[in-house]
Amino acid sequence: MQYEMVAGFETHVELATNTKIFCSCTTQFGADSNTHCCPICIGLPGVLPKLNRQAVRYAIMAGLATNCHIANISKMDRKNYCYPDLPKAYQISQYDKPLCENGYIQLSNGRKIRLNRIHIEEDAGKLIHKRGDTYVDYNRGGVPLIEIVSEPDIRSVEEAKEYVEKLQQIMRYIGVSDCRMQEGSMRCDVNVSVRPVGSTELGTRTEIKNMNSITFIGRAMEYEFARQVDLIESGGEVEQQTLRYNDAENTTSPMRGKEDANDYRYFRDPDLVTISVTDEEIEELKAKIPELPFEKVERYVNELGLSEKDAANIAKYRNIAEFFEAASEGVKNPKSVSNFIIGQIFRRLETEEDKENFDIKTTPEQLCELVKLIEAGKIKNNLAKSTLEKMLDTGKPVTEFVSESDMAGLDENALAELCKKAVESNPKAVEDFKKGKQKAVKSLVGFVMKESRGKADAAAAEKIIIEIIGG
Amino acid sequence: MAEGMITRFGRMLRDKELSCTELTEKYLTQIEQANGDLNAYVKVTPEEALKTAKAVDEKIAKGEELSALEGIPMTLKDNISTKGIETTCCSKILEGYKPIYNATVWETLRNSNAVLLGKTNMDEFAMGSSSETSYFGGSANPHDITRVAGGSSGGVASAVGGNIAVYGLGSDTGGSIRQPASFCGIVGLKPTYGAVSRFGLIAYASSFDQIGPITTTVEDAAIVYDAISGYDKMDSTSRGRVGDPTVNSLKNDIKGMKIGIADEYLDGVNDDVRALIEKACAVYESLGAQIVRFKLPSLKYALPVYYILACAEASSNLGRYDGIRYGYRTSSYNDINEMVCKTRSEGFGAEVQRRILLGTYVLSAGYYDAYYKKAQNLRGSIVNAFKAAFESCDVILAPTVPMTAFKKGSAVSDPIQTYLTDICTVPVNIAGLPGVSIPCGFDKDNMPVGMQLIGNTFCESTILNAAWQYENAAGADVFRQSAYGVKL
Amino acid sequence: MVTREDVINIARLSKLYIAEEDLDEMTKAMADIVKFADTINNASEDGVEFDNINNLSNAFREDEVVPSYDRDEILSNANDTDEGHFLVRKRV
Repeated sequence: MQYEMVAGFETHVELATNTKIFCSCTTQFGADSNTHCCPICIGLPGVLPKLNRQAVRYAIMAGLATNCHIANISKMDRKNYCYPDLPKAYQISQYDKPLCENGYIQLSNGRKIRLNRIHIEEDAGKLIHKRGDTYVDYNRGGVPLIEIVSEPDIRSVEEAKEYVEKLQQIMRYIGVSDCRMQEGSMRCDVNVSVRPVGSTELGTRTEIKNMNSITFIGRAMEYEFARQVDLIESGGEVEQQTLRYNDAENTTSPMRGKEDANDYRYFRDPDLVTISVTDEEIEELKAKIPELPFEKVERYVNELGLSEKDAANIAKYRNIAEFFEAASEGVKNPKSVSNFIIGQIFRRLETEEDKENFDIKTTPEQLCELVKLIEAGKIKNNLAKSTLEKMLDTGKPVTEFVSESDMAGLDENALAELCKKAVESNPKAVEDFKKGKQKAVKSLVGFVMKESRGKADAAAAEKIIIEIIGG
Repeated sequence: MAEGMITRFGRMLRDKELSCTELTEKYLTQIEQANGDLNAYVKVTPEEALKTAKAVDEKIAKGEELSALEGIPMTLKDNISTKGIETTCCSKILEGYKPIYNATVWETLRNSNAVLLGKTNMDEFAMGSSSETSYFGGSANPHDITRVAGGSSGGVASAVGGNIAVYGLGSDTGGSIRQPASFCGIVGLKPTYGAVSRFGLIAYASSFDQIGPITTTVEDAAIVYDAISGYDKMDSTSRGRVGDPTVNSLKNDIKGMKIGIADEYLDGVNDDVRALIEKACAVYESLGAQIVRFKLPSLKYALPVYYILACAEASSNLGRYDGIRYGYRTSSYNDINEMVCKTRSEGFGAEVQRRILLGTYVLSAGYYDAYYKKAQNLRGSIVNAFKAAFESCDVILAPTVPMTAFKKGSAVSDPIQTYLTDICTVPVNIAGLPGVSIPCGFDKDNMPVGMQLIGNTFCESTILNAAWQYENAAGADVFRQSAYGVKL
Repeated sequence: MVTREDVINIARLSKLYIAEEDLDEMTKAMADIVKFADTINNASEDGVEFDNINNLSNAFREDEVVPSYDRDEILSNANDTDEGHFLVRKRV
């Protein structure tokens, strides 16, 4: 029998606020243990939470960017469970009145992955286990999170990966999170079930917790799909349980037994008051949402003439897209701008993180000037490429590397003169060419290019050289 | 008794009849002598007190102005966080815990040089009506030390009733300020929910808890309330005092004031108490007030509503005591889960454990709707019933407790019987209203009886005005000094 | 009706141990308290929706950093610490 995968995501995204959700400690990542703490975020007796306005605004923006309905009235609830990383033994979250509901993310194949809700909550601290001892660090405790809950609308690993990437791109674009999976600022719980193709019922699902890499998400889902299909094929039944993915072995294993089943006893947090958002405030936040990556891709393809692939590469990170758009200002063919970015510039940005940071030495205005010189016929592509390299090395402007005479170009006589010089100074190459080694002419052309500091038209030079040699 | 102790001592300090250090030393000496009998203080802080007294004396010497509470010796219930001073909620689980921050109320009072004599006894985590669930044993009633001081703020009431503190701050979740004030023959004000910051008050039930003063006179209560009320940005549920300082309107004429009596409050109240309430009505009528009788049927559910909701909140609030960050930790365990369970089972007393279990039960899957949700909806009904009542009267007069202080040890055996002592006090907490208990006479055993004046939200001025007028008219009939404490 | 299993379950959720020999007594005590709580279900009225006690909304804090506490202070009340962490040893 043929089976299909049915998957849904619960994605936790740390918000890019300066301070924690209920106290004024910094959210900065990577500090010494327990140095970003105060009585509130370590849950000392008697403390009270005070909600960070920016966390609410960011969550609403996340909802607006994913087509959610924003609730005018919302509230905070306590989710009670006792664990050493949770200082109050309850997590302040939202239960039955989340800030955002009923959104969706559209995939490139046209399918919409529905979002059930987006709510705000606090992150827990971090436990480090050493030789069975437990070390507790509460720096991360109280960092604001949004939890984005999808419906089980995902049907393949490819869709899952695209879904996560899209979420990541959108959240980064609107500036609500850096979504760094390796630093834990974006984490996914994946629900997986299987069913015979054609069936509309949902199978029993398992939940793979705390995935922090897109690659591992794919592998874990593939493993879990195969495991469930095998189980059913061999007459067994899938048990609803929480799983942990072991990346070294590429397997999943149960996290806890049934006897530990939790009953979170949600109830409204009496220490916090109603969150009321007016339509005007929602409109105000809507105005802050920039053009989103998929909207950019569409525009780059339709209006700027980029290929789908190039457009996607440029639009992936907001920094790059903004650089591209600024550098294309007044340029006739923005495709040459994207070629420089995807060619020369990306070669210098090896990792995705480098691309995200897009920390390069030149400015969009300088690249724009360079492309305009090409378009005006003042410099040739070769010279432009080598000039851009120098600009990226030094941070100096175009004019440092391209002189007036460079831009003046070469007239026919000067070119003929240079070709003659090339033939005279390179008897070995001429000899080779005469013996039938066609490639030898290239080194003669190279001589001309070098002598002319890139100003010469290589094709014209080759033609003249061959004429001189008399081939 | 119309002039309060705070005003009187303040004047004596300003007139240099005695220094603040002398006043403080008198109190410290009396604490030493009386605390063995009363067990009011669980921690005395002489250095802190004398340091502040010295600072006040220097101000006086320089001729600087003193604010109302400056230099006045006082105490705090042991659930109000004091930086560097042990704050235990009278629980083993917080043994040795020294807060690293001050509760907002203490920060406010400290900044005005209040002289902290020490921390006072209470029922463990404020759960109880006799102070006997305290890890340190119960406080005695200064009018008869074989009887309880009441609870949960029993230590503050015992100290103020025994005059080993001029005033104190207690907390009131279901009557914990008013009931012990009533038992000890003094004044206790439970402010409107949100009038006084809860920041730093170790939570029992967050939507009920409120800090308030316990004093010997209505004027003192008004002065302290005016000082501690106010908006606090650290407390999301804080609103602050509404209107002018309450001391300004204490002496207003109450001619024409409508004083409501609800029959339900008098059900099951003992005869002596009922008679004194009726007598108080007569006093009010003689002052020109009008007595209005009405019914509040939803009050009959107040007690279970209170216990369900308060315990639910408590079960969550008390989850944090796990032995990891502060407080007691068990001496032996096999894994971290066992450490947490043993710590809590050894650290919490029986009543606290009972309330945590009840709270967990009413919130758990399958029971939430029948208990928590239903109780929450009935809370809504009670709020509305009071709202309606205040359309026909200005204040409601009711007994504070259906009986007077009982003998030590008699409350422990039957928890539900003990819960019943809260029947007259919990409605105010359910509806978030202000209520003040003031002395209104003595029963046949010569034990003090208290009565409650309940106001609409943020109508502290009205109830304190009515209370002051009664106190002024009844005077010596209702207030007696105990055998203990400072005599000046 | 509160059963022994109910008590075992809520004790587990509450992180409290109830010794086997105390279980019957605790079950009875809980049954009494729950019976008392049950009286609300005699109410003829359903009650009304209850929001928060003083009907407040939007008590927000601005997103401005205030320096955190010294780590020594944060750890000062802990039973056991090591290398700047709260510590729970495997077994004691």
